[in-house]
Amino acid sequence: MQISHKDITPELLFNQRRSFLKLGAASMIASSALIELMAKEDLPLPDLIFKKDPNRDHLELNSFKEITSYNNFYEFTTSKKGVKALAKQMNTEGWKITIDGLVEKPLTLDVKELTKRYPLEERIYRFRCVEGWAMVVPWVGFELRKLIQDVKPLKRAKYVQFWTKYDEAMFPDQKRGLFATITYPYTEGLRMDEAMHPLTLLAVGLYGKTLENQNGAPIRLVVPWKYGFKSIKSIDRISLIEKQPLNTWQKENPREFGFYANVNPEVDHPRWSQKTERVLGKFVKQRTLLFNGYEKEVGYMYKDMDLRKEI
Amino acid sequence: MIRGLIFVLLLIPFIYLVLELFIFQTAIDPIKYIYTITGATAITLLFFTTTLSLWFKKLIRYRRMIGLFGFFYAFLHLCNFFILDMDGNLLFAFKETLDKPFIYLGMISFLLLLFMAATSTKRLFRKYGKYHKVLYIVLVLTTIHFVMAQKSLSVSQYGYLTVIFVIALFKIKKILQVKKTQ
Repeated sequence: MQISHKDITPELLFNQRRSFLKLGAASMIASSALIELMAKEDLPLPDLIFKKDPNRDHLELNSFKEITSYNNFYEFTTSKKGVKALAKQMNTEGWKITIDGLVEKPLTLDVKELTKRYPLEERIYRFRCVEGWAMVVPWVGFELRKLIQDVKPLKRAKYVQFWTKYDEAMFPDQKRGLFATITYPYTEGLRMDEAMHPLTLLAVGLYGKTLENQNGAPIRLVVPWKYGFKSIKSIDRISLIEKQPLNTWQKENPREFGFYANVNPEVDHPRWSQKTERVLGKFVKQRTLLFNGYEKEVGYMYKDMDLRKEI
Repeated sequence: MIRGLIFVLLLIPFIYLVLELFIFQTAIDPIKYIYTITGATAITLLFFTTTLSLWFKKLIRYRRMIGLFGFFYAFLHLCNFFILDMDGNLLFAFKETLDKPFIYLGMISFLLLLFMAATSTKRLFRKYGKYHKVLYIVLVLTTIHFVMAQKSLSVSQYGYLTVIFVIALFKIKKILQVKKTQ
């Protein structure tokens, strides 16, 4: 019996097909058979070089399709399914990011340069939206603290504020003025210790591939123990400041959305429960974990706070 | 013949939902998707039944069937809440119902619809038909229910609310006219 090479699945791929990408782009063997197999698995072709995440918690990844087809990005539309198509027109070429405020060395850098400056690593994180859905995403990025350390923060810097780009040509909802869904530019903030926490990531990719527009290309924040709206997309400016900033959703509805937005099953959203969550692609719900399962790593930062009041 | 045609027409959202969930598998957030399709269909059908007397007088003979289909979609909506959203946990479902305004508004609406469905037979309708005006309470409550369930309203949802508002205006106008002639 003749067996051609395309009938043989590489052992690696066979043993961990879904998580094959964890090998990282560096170890990719771009044989046509592999590419075909990856297409069959709906995996994107990786184009980033990064250190892979060993996934010690054995989290089950959501598919690339799920992660890239269900997005909240109000600059385009409130329809989570509609974002993908509308975001195609977004041009992220030559995107610059500025980091300034209470720092010794403010910086403005091309995002491309930024990713050369800091070695990229994969981080497989749980992601929990305030609306009650959740997923597991293999982000690729670098720790925010590395960037903050490089600009040398002054002692007075107590908070970090982030802004999504304001560009009416790029984001249709921004030119609707009074009829816009929320006020723009979208802005978010972290306390200094949260921003400097090793889990806090600036992501430039997922599944080993440069971020899709709908996921917040070319650079976004990922704070895995907080509700998704804290993980601001398509950042063009970061500023170190003295006072707690007013983030967009808190400004929209302070009774329902706070500054901290820590994932907490014991503190319900005023209109719906947060005790359980819908994992994308599943018909069965699961329990929501305190700090989204990162209590060991981040719990200490909130031990003196009343989490019911400081939502 | 027309009855059969309307019956099939009213089943389309259900068939569509089943196809999307199990055949094409395009629903990324299935529980939410079931809520959206069943909820929107139920509210649409119930509102539609109240407009028949305004401009579809020919269809009034099918009003009961359309109303019962509205109840059917509301029932699917409730099943989604109990079985999938609350994981079949009755105690948790009960607690959530008492705790969250938008859920108890939905629950009250469902109980009223259940009463209407149960008393929709020819014999019982003669006795209880006059109480079927509670549908207007259902319409108000479910509208609030659907607005409260959203994080923020989309353009299409605003459009939907506008249509509801226009229907309400016409109905109120009509009721006032009837009162005047009495």
